[in-house]
Amino acid sequence: MCSRHLMRMCGALLVALTVVTACGCRETTDKPRIALIMKSLANEFFMTMENGARDHQKAQADKYELIAQGIKDELDVSRQIQLVEQMIAQGVDAIVIAPADSKSLVAVCKRARDAGIVVVNIDNRLDAEVLREKGVAIPFVGPDNRKGARKVGEHVAAQLAQGDPVAIIEGAPNAYNAVQRRLGFEDACNAAGLDVVASQPAHWEMARANEIVSGIITEHPAIKAALCANDSMALGAVAALRAAGKLNSVLVAGFDNISAVQGLLAKGEIVATADQHADQLAVFGIEYALAILRGDTTPADKETPVDLVTRETLQGGVSGALATGAAG
Amino acid sequence: MRGAGRRFLGDSLGLVLVLATLVVFFGLITRHFFSFTTLQTIVNQIPDSLVIAVGMTFVLVIAGIDLSVGSVLALSGAVLGVCLARLHWPLPPAIVACLFTGLLAGTVNGAVTVRWALPSFIVTLGMLEAARGAAYLVTTSQTQYIGEPIERIAEAGLFGISLPFLIAFLIVIIGQTVLSHTTFGRYMLAVGANEETARLSGVPTRMVRLSVFMISGLLASVAAVIHCARMSAADPNTGIGYELNAIAAVVIGGTSLMGGRGSVANTFLGVLIIAVLQNGLVQAGAQDPTKRIVTGAVIVAAVIVDYYRRRSGGLTARVGG
Repeated sequence: MCSRHLMRMCGALLVALTVVTACGCRETTDKPRIALIMKSLANEFFMTMENGARDHQKAQADKYELIAQGIKDELDVSRQIQLVEQMIAQGVDAIVIAPADSKSLVAVCKRARDAGIVVVNIDNRLDAEVLREKGVAIPFVGPDNRKGARKVGEHVAAQLAQGDPVAIIEGAPNAYNAVQRRLGFEDACNAAGLDVVASQPAHWEMARANEIVSGIITEHPAIKAALCANDSMALGAVAALRAAGKLNSVLVAGFDNISAVQGLLAKGEIVATADQHADQLAVFGIEYALAILRGDTTPADKETPVDLVTRETLQGGVSGALATGAAG
Repeated sequence: MRGAGRRFLGDSLGLVLVLATLVVFFGLITRHFFSFTTLQTIVNQIPDSLVIAVGMTFVLVIAGIDLSVGSVLALSGAVLGVCLARLHWPLPPAIVACLFTGLLAGTVNGAVTVRWALPSFIVTLGMLEAARGAAYLVTTSQTQYIGEPIERIAEAGLFGISLPFLIAFLIVIIGQTVLSHTTFGRYMLAVGANEETARLSGVPTRMVRLSVFMISGLLASVAAVIHCARMSAADPNTGIGYELNAIAAVVIGGTSLMGGRGSVANTFLGVLIIAVLQNGLVQAGAQDPTKRIVTGAVIVAAVIVDYYRRRSGGLTARVGG
């Protein structure tokens, strides 16, 4: 008696659940579901990216649904692979991904493609060789970090003389964008005939960059500029120069245009940084995925803007950034 | 006093030797290591690590471990940064909020460890995660640029020595005095040597444990003030791996991981050895993998040198030997 009662209850519950899920599904079938999978949410850059995507979705809630996910830190590659697998299991229509590792994520992205899901790669480019090996084409939508770093480097070089010694403070050496930025800085230095006397990784960290720059300016007192692969490290460099009383003789440049450097840019303590429009980056990817889903476009790579930010551009900055955002 | 002085000298000779070797070595392979700038850089850079290492010495003396100091530094710094940069508080209440945060984290570490008799390893590992998360939360993952209000601390000083260094040095002196000349110090050594025996002899062991973790948390937040002053900014990502650096410095200084034995003065030398090493390697232009391999090797080598010197000096028979 009791067990039959229980059975009936369970049955009713099952039916109710099925109805709810069915309704849930029916409601969303006309609206594509897009998964945004990012790297570290501990990083201001990705926070900005996520917020930009959420705002975009809110503004056009009738066009698509957004599932945004991130991992603990940029090294948690296996967790990111799990996230992609979960999204495949959920049957999303498109995945927009900023891969934590350019090689390890290729296999799972291929699985998503095989399951009929549109995959768009943003921010950190998947390795071309591995993609070719797996026989899969995934469009990349994002900025050219090398070109951006070169612009920053050229702005610094314009204020220096040929043969001046400079230092490069690199990001994490295993990250694709860190390598691209270093290469971009080197391009600018080579073109202007600057002498790169030191190039060391500080793993994107302010405190580490501070230690490294302190050491470098002691060993190379004549140094004229420190080109840093992100703004956090530029902050560390500025602190090191201030402590050594060399703030006026060494130019510091960064990358990313985070809020913390705005004041320093205005004061000229950081001479240049690059803005890759983090808030628009995921949006570019999402809009591209939507276009592919509508059949408006065939998958191909798409470059997004990277803008040089200096004290001069800051003054007329807001309208400039908006204009580029609209263009993208 | 003469006895104590001689004992310190005898105890520290191995470390001084390692330090001198490093200085000479880097002096030979780089052009500018023997310079006032290098000295200035090191003096400028060690105060935060030093303050953390003093707290860590106490924790290791009672046979505990505190893995959360790096995260607690980041969280306290984040609170300081948000109070100053976003809420525009004056400096004194912001510093109080910062120190309170560290003290609170330390109290939680200590209270949980004592109440449920848990290994401090696991409790502070939990705090390492939680405090880091909280740091991201209060800053919304954004580096807080503080600028002028906090720079005053880094710029202040007496006789050309910066205020942060003076504070850190004072904390070392107080720490050593507490450890070797007070009842609380003897309690710590007793708890570390054998907690059960200590308890039976009437040492308030739970109180001692709780206090030590509170001190460690508080010192991590003092380090946060110094750190933020040096950087003019509060970065929620900062301090990753500081706990391991502090533990390395303390162990190089001859404090036993098994507890019951330790010296704050020797921890100071341990911090100096690591600072000289890191600075020298940057100046020598060593690449990242080389730096890590050399640092690891020197940490172990320093402990080995110290071991042999202790053996030959016949000084192993001290408390808890």
